[in-house]
Amino acid sequence: MEPVYLDNAATTRIAPEVLEAMLPFLEENYGNPSSFHTFGSSHMEAVETARGQVARLLGARAEEIFFTSGGTESDNQALRCAVKMDPTRRGIVTSAVEHPAVLETARMLEKEGCTLGIAPVNGNGEVVLEELEKLVDAQTAVVSIMAANNETGVIMPLKSIAEISADEGALFHTDAVQMAGKCPLDVHTAGIDLLSLSAHKIHGPKGVGALYVRRGIELPPLITGGHQERGMRSGTYNVPGIVGLGKAAELALTHLADTVVEERRLRESFEARVKESCPGAFIVADEASERLPGTVTVIFRGIESEAVLTLLDMQGIYASSGSACSTGSKDPSHVLYAMGIDHTLANSAVRFSLSRYTTGGEIDRTVEALESIVERLRRISPYTG
Amino acid sequence: MWKYSDVLMDHFMNPRNVGTLESPDGHSEVGSPQCGDAMYLDIDIDDEGRISDIAFKTFGCAGAIASASALTEMVRGLPIEEALQIRNSQIAEYLGGMPPEKFHCSVMGHQALKAAVTDYREKCDALEKTLSEAGVKSVLVRPKRVYVSSEEDAVKAREALADGSIAVEVK
Repeated sequence: MEPVYLDNAATTRIAPEVLEAMLPFLEENYGNPSSFHTFGSSHMEAVETARGQVARLLGARAEEIFFTSGGTESDNQALRCAVKMDPTRRGIVTSAVEHPAVLETARMLEKEGCTLGIAPVNGNGEVVLEELEKLVDAQTAVVSIMAANNETGVIMPLKSIAEISADEGALFHTDAVQMAGKCPLDVHTAGIDLLSLSAHKIHGPKGVGALYVRRGIELPPLITGGHQERGMRSGTYNVPGIVGLGKAAELALTHLADTVVEERRLRESFEARVKESCPGAFIVADEASERLPGTVTVIFRGIESEAVLTLLDMQGIYASSGSACSTGSKDPSHVLYAMGIDHTLANSAVRFSLSRYTTGGEIDRTVEALESIVERLRRISPYTG
Repeated sequence: MWKYSDVLMDHFMNPRNVGTLESPDGHSEVGSPQCGDAMYLDIDIDDEGRISDIAFKTFGCAGAIASASALTEMVRGLPIEEALQIRNSQIAEYLGGMPPEKFHCSVMGHQALKAAVTDYREKCDALEKTLSEAGVKSVLVRPKRVYVSSEEDAVKAREALADGSIAVEVK
């Protein structure tokens, strides 16, 4: 049975073209781009090509792109280093639905003496701009709001957030790990100062990502050492990873227009059919003004998400949930909680995330499987009469 | 995914004793505040004080559903006191082992059973009280039937238990 992989918000398969581009740098082209000799230094060209590819995806300049080990490192640098730039600005403002890479880092910085403001979201998972505005002031170093949410796929009003930040002279950082390469995104139009992205969410390899830093911003490094990346991020170049990220970004841009249309079509058909064939099912953030083309969280009222995932898994269908009943205390998703969704409903939430490789046949199989799974579990459930 | 045994998966896929009983002798609704799971349990108690019938419904993961199913199988036919002695480790053993992280899932079944027994005993106590207030000396009281020692007491008992849904017999 062919697996049906619908957890692309967690990670994606490497595109064959990406693997092909990477392989020479895992085999014969193993030199260090920082070396004097041409055996290594010739690889700098490949690194710079990748930088250009990533820059084009974001509408940025090549010199504004710095390679990192991934989204989490980029987020860490954006927050930890933004609060070091000006001793009068030690504040961080973020939202209640951020990825832990931002939220936990912000909380850590609060313990280290920074101030932290967390803006709420509305029932559709969109950050409440009026509340955000109240939190941003002349002491704010950085406003960090994700471009699109990893659980709900809700896209944040980036332009308005950028304006609120700029009004107070604060930097605007966005964790665009879910958004970059999935939806059109232009850093200049959106007014973004700092942006994090990750290769493995866009059919690139794991362990590599990038931080966009708008020209003119003197962000200090997080990782110091051999002065690679113009001193912004030290450490030997991960050439195969960087080449893979570049190729993945190029492919994402090439396919962007088609992906947006096709993934959205599949996702919308999936949503409509799930609502029709699974009693009690509803879509989270259904009314949000903008969502990612391929990410959806479904709440199956009355049945528990892990039971659904287990039955899907047995049929070779792979999805995910925001929480895991693992350690004896199951924390419901902080994202759904922030949206005002109660504990029991949050424990009934399953996320399906598509990619440009997802087919209509896979969606058919998933809908059919869900129909019988939901029926089976509702029969056992105390909540479904 | 968790590493579940074949027995556990069988109880998850084909849970035993799912459903509800018609006017059960004991009913309970419990939830686990730690993980949001919930369970409804119905029991019937026979004249010898054994669990003669049992049915459950569960909101929870595979471990929770399988534990509930296993518990109902294990306690069916057991005297109440013995049923209450079943430990989580015995449920895990019955299921061919369980991931340690899932042990807490089996706790809910025990709580549900305890609560259903309490409900059953409260129903019996209430009936006894009604009967003794009516001057009836009962031999044995179950929520759906009452045994008395004479025809005279039976008449009084039927009068006291006006709703007629409780059978009164002479023993």
